[in-house]
This record gives sequence, C-alpha cells and structure tokens, in this order.
Amino acid sequence: MDLGFIITNAIVLSCIYGTLAIGISITWSSVGLINLAYGFIFAFAGYGAWYAAQFLSENGAVVLAAGILSGAFAGIVVCALAFIPIHDKPNFNVRGLIATLAISLIGTQGLMWWFGPRSKNLPDIFGSWSVMLGDMALTADKIGNVVTSIAFVAAVVLWMRSSRRGLEIRAMMMNPHAASIVGIGVRSTGFYVMAITGGMAGLAAVLLSQTYYISPFGGLTPMIKGVSIALCGGLGSVQGAVIAAVILGFNEAITSVTLGGQYVLITQFILIIAILLVRPRGIAGILDRAREA
Amino acid sequence: MANFWRNPLFGWGVDRAEDSQPTLPHRPPQEPWDETRQSKVEMFPVGRPRLYYKWPGHGGWTWNRKRYWPTRRRLLNIRGEYNPKTMRREKTIVDKRPLWWVMALSFMVIAPWLMPEDYQTTLLTAGATFAIYAAINLVWMLVIGTAGIYSLATYAVVGAAGFGTAWLSINLGVPWYVLPFIGSAIGLVFGLIIAIPATRLDGFYYALLTLGLNELCRVYALQSKIFGSSTGGLYGADTYISEHWDDATQSLVAYFACLTLMVLALVLFRFVNGKRIGRVLRMAPEKREAFAEATGVNFRQARIMVFVVSSIALGFIGGFYTAHYRGVSFSIFSFDTVLLGVAMLVIGGIGRAEGAVAGAAIVIFLDKALLSLGPIRLIIIGAIMLGVVLFLRGGLFGIKPQFRAWRDKKKSERRSTRAEKGGEMLPEEATETRDKDLIYWRRYDKMQRDYLKKLVSPEVIEEHRKSPLGQHSEALERLLLYFRRAPLSDKYAIIAVEPFKAYRIVALSGQRGVAPRIVEDRIYASQEEAYHGIFMRRVQDLLES
Repeated sequence: MDLGFIITNAIVLSCIYGTLAIGISITWSSVGLINLAYGFIFAFAGYGAWYAAQFLSENGAVVLAAGILSGAFAGIVVCALAFIPIHDKPNFNVRGLIATLAISLIGTQGLMWWFGPRSKNLPDIFGSWSVMLGDMALTADKIGNVVTSIAFVAAVVLWMRSSRRGLEIRAMMMNPHAASIVGIGVRSTGFYVMAITGGMAGLAAVLLSQTYYISPFGGLTPMIKGVSIALCGGLGSVQGAVIAAVILGFNEAITSVTLGGQYVLITQFILIIAILLVRPRGIAGILDRAREA
Repeated sequence: MANFWRNPLFGWGVDRAEDSQPTLPHRPPQEPWDETRQSKVEMFPVGRPRLYYKWPGHGGWTWNRKRYWPTRRRLLNIRGEYNPKTMRREKTIVDKRPLWWVMALSFMVIAPWLMPEDYQTTLLTAGATFAIYAAINLVWMLVIGTAGIYSLATYAVVGAAGFGTAWLSINLGVPWYVLPFIGSAIGLVFGLIIAIPATRLDGFYYALLTLGLNELCRVYALQSKIFGSSTGGLYGADTYISEHWDDATQSLVAYFACLTLMVLALVLFRFVNGKRIGRVLRMAPEKREAFAEATGVNFRQARIMVFVVSSIALGFIGGFYTAHYRGVSFSIFSFDTVLLGVAMLVIGGIGRAEGAVAGAAIVIFLDKALLSLGPIRLIIIGAIMLGVVLFLRGGLFGIKPQFRAWRDKKKSERRSTRAEKGGEMLPEEATETRDKDLIYWRRYDKMQRDYLKKLVSPEVIEEHRKSPLGQHSEALERLLLYFRRAPLSDKYAIIAVEPFKAYRIVALSGQRGVAPRIVEDRIYASQEEAYHGIFMRRVQDLLES
C-alpha cells in the first residue's frame, strides 16, 4: 500500500468524520441531547441528495445543497420528536437518548421500506480532474471533500462566533438554565442547533457518498466514528473534536500500514479507552461534571 | 312583606318618634359566619372506592405465618388490619406480583398443550426465542437498572461468548454441556475488559463507548476468516437437541430448556437485585453517589461486582445460545439487535424484572408474528418505543404509579380551586404583616360587611331620611353602629357654612394637622339633610367595598 495514498485518505476521512463529530458535540453541549438518530439523518440526507440528482439536476452545488437541506430538515424532525416534548421532563437525558434510538429504528426501517435495501450512488460533484503532488495524484473528490468540509465547519464556527443566534447557542452551551433565565428560548435554539447539526450530517453524507454508497443503514458506521471522535475529543468542544479527528485519522493510517485494515477499529478503541482513562471527559473536556441538565 | 318595627320610645313622647316603621325581616348576624365556615365540597354518600380486595381474617391463623426457606420472607406480603367500621379483622395482599408471576410461569409451562397443532412448531420456536431474549434482558436489566451502568455492549458479550464457544465446539469438538461454562469464562474475561473504562466513565460516555465496542465486535467478526466471514456466522456446533427425536419433541425440549434458562435468569435477578448488593446500589443512584459514599457505601465496588456477575451470566447465555441454535450469526452484533433489546427494556420499564420479560414478549411477538409485514413491523416497534419514552416515565409497568401521581395532582388542583379564600390578605402580605391580629380582623370585617350589605334596603334609607338621629330599627342601628366605629380616615363630617342655612360634607383626613377636604359642591339646607347625605355616602362606600 502506498503511504501517501493512505495518508491522504486518512485526512479526507478525518475531515468528514470530524464534521459529524462536531455536529454531535454541539448538539450534546447546547441542547443536552445525545443524538443517536444521527445515522438516520445522515442516510436521509443522502437519499435527499440522491433525489435531487435524479429529478433536479446533477450539478454538484445542487446536490450538495439538497443534501444539506434535507439533513437540516431531518434534524428539525428529530428535534420536534425527541427534544421538544420531553426537554423539561424528569430524566430527559436518558429518555432523549432512547427517543433518538427509536427515531433511528423507525427512520432507517422507513428508508429501507421506501427505497429498498439496494444502495444508491451519487454523481461526482467535484468533477473528475486531479492534481499531481510529487508522484501522488490528488483526485478532485479528495480535494473537494477536504475543502468543502473545512469551509462548512469554519463557516458554522464563524457564524456561531459572530451572530446573535450563535451567541444564543453558545450561551446555551455554557449554562442552559441561565440562558433560559435571560430570555433565550430553549425550544427555538434547539431547532436552530438541530437544523445546523443536521445540515452538517447532510454535508458529510454527500461528501462520503463520493467514496461509499448511500444505503438505509449506511449512516451507522459514520455515526459511530463521529461519536467516538466526539467522545475522545470531549463532548461539547469543537477544538477537541478537531484534535481527536486528526489523532484518530492518523491512527487509522498508521494501523492500516503497519498491522492491516481489520485492526483499525481495535487500535482505535484501545486508543480511545486509553485517552478516556486518563481524561474521562475527553481531550478538551472539562473535568468536572460537564453538563447537568 | 309588611314587616314593621315598633318604636319602643313612641309612648314616651319623644320628638318626631313614629309608632312603627316598615322594615325587612330580621336576618340573624350568625348567617355569614355559618356560610363562610360551611364546607362547599360536594359530599358523596360513599367514601373512597376500595381498590384492594379485603380478605377475611383467619382468626388463629393471624399469628401463624408461612415463611420460605432460606429467607424469613413470607410467601405474600400481607397487611393485617381492622375494619374501622365493623372492627373485623381483615387482610390485604399488598404486593400481588408473586401471584402474577406464578400465573404467567404456569401458563408458559402448560402453553405447549394449549397451542393449535398446526402452529405448534412455529409458536414453540418463537417461545424459545422469547425466553432467550428475556433471559438476556433480565441480566441486562441488572446492569442498567440495578448497577446503573448504561452499557450497550450486552449483545457484544453474548456474541463473543457465542462465537468463542462455537469455534471451540466446531474445531475441538467440545460437547454442548460444557459450552455454557466456557461461555461464562469468556464472558468473565470480556466483562473485566469492558469494566475497566466503567471505573472512570459514567453515564453517556460509557453508553457511547460500549456502542462503539459493539460495532468493533461486529466489524471484527465480519472481517475475520476464522469466524466464518463467508457464511454469515459460525454454524455446526454441538447441540443438546438430538437429531433422533421427532420434530415435535425437538421443539418441545428446546422450548423447555430456554424456559429453564429464563427462570435461572429470574433467580439471578432476584438474588442480585433483591439482596444486599441491590439495596446498596439503590442507595446510590445516578447523581446521588456522593451522598451514598458519604454514608459509607462502596457503590463503585458494588457496581463492578454486578457488572462482572452479569457478564458471567451473559457469557453463560451466549454458550447456551450456541448450543441451542448450533452456532451464532453476525446479526447478534448488529445495531438493530441492540435497538430491539433497548426497545424491550424500555417498553417494559427499566429496573423491573417483569418489564424485561413483558417487553421481550411484546417485541418478539411483533417481530415474529408479523413477519410478513417486512420493515413495517420494526417501524411499529420503534413507534411503540417512541411513544413509551415520550409519554411514560417507567414503561408499561410504570403506568399505574404514574396514573396515580397524575390523579393525585389533578385532585389537589381541583381541591385548591374549591378552597374558599376567606382572608382579605394575600398570603405574601399575611406573612409580611407584623400584627397578625390584622389578618383576623380583616377576615371578620369582610364577613361583617357581607352581612351589612344585605341589610341596606329602601325602607332603611327612608327611615334614616325621616329621622337621622334617635332610636332606629334593628337593621339601621346595626349599619349606623358599624359606620360610627370606623377609623377616622374613613369618616365624613359636616361643616356649617352658615348656621341653620347651609351645610357641606367634608372628609376627615385622619391625620393630625391635615385639614378635612371638601368632597362635593352640594349645599344642604339643614343639619338633618347633611346627616342623611353622609349616611348615603357611607352606604355607597359599603356597597362598593
């Protein structure tokens, strides 16, 4: 195996999974919901993009936008079902987790029922050119994936830093009770957060479909990767998620070169467990109880 | 309505005294008091319905209680009491769950002979599946409910033990009766490994990590050749179901073996959850660990202990699973299996044995009986799960306490709307007031005003107009006494603009040095007219208050 090929692959994958991890992280820290329906949102967005490619246009931007929008829509649906009815009820954390699991079960089976188990593939949204870097060919989808995901995440982070809504979301992340006392609507912020993180999942779905196919259960592995990265980086921290994505991406590259592809998950979990044993709240997590709500 | 008041001073030649005045009939001043104190709650002839059947007492048997070995517990938790009306001895079965368990288990035992012949094999297979899943759920319930560790790697432990024993049985020819015990050993090792992060992580961090571990097992088994990546699982292990028996016997034996496994899991649940370790852990629920630790409870050790015991049990079930199905498939590691397991626990209610079993029964029934519906049956299960999570606090078996709490809440809400606000002070005001006498004075004053308002009538006003001073009828006298007793700030006075010709009404300020203010421009020709003017103002004030 070519080392350069593996490293570029690792960078591309860690960009995509990092996007997912940041989405999971933001959801947890601002609305207190562990969104295990993220895999469903991912698959739903993939199918949304596929519909757009079938019936609207095969233009890359259209497909990408359709994926992001359908992801945001699925995020809003999950918010309306799993966050709005129970966010002020006792034991919300556990019940929210189980509710998202139920939505995931319903949603993926619904997709399976509607589209059938056959996987779909999307058109190349970045074209088919390539750049030679030394003796290494960087294809369009790799460069496109990295650039698009970094640009989207950067845009979201900038928006969260500079806008009024972003300020509300950050206030919710810091102290949800105080935020609601000073007049920040918990429900409306929940919708914003879930729409944005759903859009992130949609973006990741379209980008990942350049490499893999879209299938009803295809969102599970990316979700677990995203959850692992978010967990490792510290739930609620964007920087932590970035660091963890880089670490786990390189772990993946090194393991596949030295040990072989099937040991990637094993080394990854050994690494995550080791990190969590040292820092139980993740790399950038705060050590005391992070979010009690 | 010709009721007359006779003036007792008439015969004495008092100035302007009239023989009799028309007046309203007498109203006792007790009336508003009785009305205020009266209960306005609607009274039904019967009290609370008796929700529990009361068994008659058994005389001498009262003190002769049966207890079962090796505990000192009684077969049923029976409360003895005396009927407050008849003073007869009565007994109430406080906890009827043992009766339900006995009924359900005996139904499961005789079920094979009640089934229609055509479906017997299908139903027995479904029953065996149900019993295995119920056993897994019971052990899982120990981890989640008793120990409070949100582990989603339960099926990973079962699957690891299953794959390990299947491999040993196929390659080394290990007989079936050893498989559960080898499985237990594998489960112990596996449980110890995944217990390491549980010492540091808590709650969701651990749930997410174990979800990842489950996926790790799936991917690893899927990719490795020795676990049969090409055949979708490992098959061909030794089994306890002999090939020589006919089909009916085979499924019957399998059914009863699985039922025995479930009963063993129930016994384990009872002996972990209902004994000292369960008590210890019930004292240290999530977010209240610090309190438990302060009282000297070593909850961490207890949690790990329960976790390891459950892992051994799960390994045992894994070995049994292999011996039952002749092998294991990868689907045991799949996310959907975990989801269905969570659905079983959640639908039944987390933390209860009956919840684990009933949830397994519901989900397995929907999953196996509606097989023709395809993915829709899983959507139905998901919808039930979502509904239970959104609306119920403790699953199906939590409906009863939740309904009671809701009913009590509604009851007290209704009671508070019925309650009479007797005091004229708001509760906050009442607590702030230094002089608590004021509260009662205001309450009394309100009652008095309510009474006096009813005394005001055209007859009374006419009587006062005729003679503002002197002896009056009872109603008018009561009104005037009340007016005269009021504090100065509420009072009016008259000033003579020109004696015997012009009078005006002024309001007293109630403060020394502050002059009275003129309240109206009207000029009264005589003192009597001015008196009556004041009376009319006071009556108006009274009726407006």
